Amino acid sequence: MGDKSSTKNEITINSIVKAYADDLFRWAYYRTTDRENAEDLVQETFIAAMKSLHKFQNQSKIKTWLFSILNNKIVDFHRKRYRDSTYNQTQLSNDPDSRMLVEQLFDSHGNWKQNKADHSLDDVEENLLDDEEFGVVFQACLEDLPDKWFSVIQLKYLIEKKSEEICQELGITPSNYWQLLHRSKLLLRECLKKMWFDEKN
Amino acid sequence: MKRLMNFLFLSCIKASELIEKKLDYKLNAKEKIQLFLHTKMCDVCNSYQKQSEQLDLTLRKHITSYQEDKKDPKPELTEDFKKSMVEKLKDH
Repeated sequence: MGDKSSTKNEITINSIVKAYADDLFRWAYYRTTDRENAEDLVQETFIAAMKSLHKFQNQSKIKTWLFSILNNKIVDFHRKRYRDSTYNQTQLSNDPDSRMLVEQLFDSHGNWKQNKADHSLDDVEENLLDDEEFGVVFQACLEDLPDKWFSVIQLKYLIEKKSEEICQELGITPSNYWQLLHRSKLLLRECLKKMWFDEKN
Repeated sequence: MKRLMNFLFLSCIKASELIEKKLDYKLNAKEKIQLFLHTKMCDVCNSYQKQSEQLDLTLRKHITSYQEDKKDPKPELTEDFKKSMVEKLKDH
């Protein structure tokens, strides 16, 4: 009796891993940009899932459920990475990536160096709808962000959370938070201009 | 007059930071006036505001849906990794 149920259990584990592991891995890979981390997160997801798999009668919902466990693990990963990074308590003005970006784009009075509006990015969202290649470029530009900024972006968009909650989890002030988003978007925008819009024209 | 100017007028970096703030938080009355006046006069910030809203939507859509690069698929899990994972899972 005991043997029979453990074989059955094994078959279930095997088939679930076979069916979902690669999709989960790829998902985690693009949201952590690191093979080892993605492997760990997928394994932790299955371990967490195994604990309550017996409650699961409806096979069709397993995929959604696994992905929601994984998303929570990805969020935990980014929160931890942000908090462990070296200059996390200091002001953004001490962040070398931010300083460089601000010097590149703004003059000493804090006004744009380029004083003509650039409308090439006005319809960036429509591009994403239309073009598969745009997704690839967008992903590459995201991965180019400094690790800490990438983590904040993932935390903000992967799971709908209130900004107050994110600030609390990261141990930062609201003004620090929107400044981080501001810098991240500036850098993304520069990258997209170069990699997508200039290439196309 | 100078004090009034300082009160009313923002640098572009401050204005574009307020644009980010506005997406997640409420601006106070002073900030609202400052940003309104600034974007009326500054084309670059005015266009930044639209782009920032678009980027916000694009980021949300990309991060909650991007699956794979069809031209250059990233490596998948190895069979060995999957096997060893199944072994570990049996103990749970």
